[in-house]
Amino acid sequence: MWRRSVGAVALVLVATGSAAVAPASAQEVPIPQTPGWELVLRCVICHSVEIAVQQRFGPQGWSETLDRMIKYGAPIPPEDRVQLMTYLLRHYRDPNGR
Amino acid sequence: MRPAPDTQLSRRGFLIATGSVVAASGLGLGPAAAQQPPAPPPVPGKERLIVRASRPINLEARLADLTAYHTPEEVFFVRNNYDVGPLDPAQWSLRIEGEVDNPVVLRLEDLRKLPAFTQDVTLECAGNGRSFHTPRASGIQWQHGAVGTQAFRGVRLADVLALARPRPTAQHVAFDGADKPPTAQAPDFIRSVPLWKAVSPPTMLALEMGGKPIPHLHGGPVRAIVPGFVGSASIKWLERILVRTDEFDGFYMKSNYTAPRVDNDKEIYSLQSLEVKSLIVGPTEGAKLAAGRLTIWGWAWAGEGELTGIDVSTDGGQTWTPGRFAGKWDRYSWRKFEHDWDARPGTHTLMARATDSLGRVQPASRAFNRLGYRWNVIHAVKVDVA
Repeated sequence: MWRRSVGAVALVLVATGSAAVAPASAQEVPIPQTPGWELVLRCVICHSVEIAVQQRFGPQGWSETLDRMIKYGAPIPPEDRVQLMTYLLRHYRDPNGR
Repeated sequence: MRPAPDTQLSRRGFLIATGSVVAASGLGLGPAAAQQPPAPPPVPGKERLIVRASRPINLEARLADLTAYHTPEEVFFVRNNYDVGPLDPAQWSLRIEGEVDNPVVLRLEDLRKLPAFTQDVTLECAGNGRSFHTPRASGIQWQHGAVGTQAFRGVRLADVLALARPRPTAQHVAFDGADKPPTAQAPDFIRSVPLWKAVSPPTMLALEMGGKPIPHLHGGPVRAIVPGFVGSASIKWLERILVRTDEFDGFYMKSNYTAPRVDNDKEIYSLQSLEVKSLIVGPTEGAKLAAGRLTIWGWAWAGEGELTGIDVSTDGGQTWTPGRFAGKWDRYSWRKFEHDWDARPGTHTLMARATDSLGRVQPASRAFNRLGYRWNVIHAVKVDVA
């Protein structure tokens, strides 16, 4: 059942029109498909998704991280920010973190 | 776009190809972001490394693979803040500008005219060990393996800088590589070192690693090597040097690669020297050993300090016995340590604790810092002896 609830984000790199790249071994990272999961895929415009999902923060930590990423050009408009925060805190929260 | 090579992923669900596909799918990113830097080529021979991130590429070694004094290229860690495609050595140039009387653009042949030297240098990512912090610190979750040692050959940065004639006001030297952020808004990866370190004889612009041109993933054709400093000082794919009156003021000096000051944790400082640190390589965690005489061994290093001792404990830190250093080493390389142990049946916790000429001793714990740096807590390895 658990497997059904996750999507696999392939960490396969696609350069703009040039060769596909799979450093070491291509890997996949499970992304639980609960509301808001599609928003995580916007992160992969700039970096592979495992950069995001290996982090664990509390509300302040995730909020600051999101703000920094938005400042750097992440396409997360204000109306999506709350849902993305909710998603990240649901799955990638450190109960002892900031 | 090419299809993903792994069809199993498609069967499992959906497939997200990063980069232009997503950017083109109406998510609203501006033109700057759509212009992805070319991704690096496939990396045959790096399969033994653990992939901590695939874009940018971040790979770490398994501790059990760090058995050689010179870390083989195939298990030498890779830490990228941003990726860049392969650079053509024939097209490579280095611009030196800022607080200099003679701004210059140098090519490889200019560097090759300068006296060359070789040294063994241990490079360690500032965040090595980050995953052991509690709570989880922000950044790539490195365990032990973002460290390695290689022979670097190149020219003294002092000789290179002299060509540009730094002004008396020069106090810091910033390095900028060809790796660029994926959006116009994200900060360029630029770090500076103080002038005293830049002109210190061991600080070099390296052209070779392990007797070969520096591989692309390790910063070729030319990278800075700042021995003793955190790995991020040794900027890869170097293409610009900015001589300054003050420390570079970008994100990677003033925010990332910073830690709270020891004397005042309300203030932060930009990381310079590596910590004094040691890792036990053998025996490995969880090893089942036969009773009898065996050697506990590993690597120790101390950044700007010089190692003065290594103590080993076989009882979880209750008692310590001096170990010995053995084998080849260089001023800024790790040193092999050994300790003979008469292993008796039972479960034992082995530990190693290095000390250095700066009076530093590996600690039993490390206060949490948000970015997870300075992890040099005494390494403990549990083994079973039958």
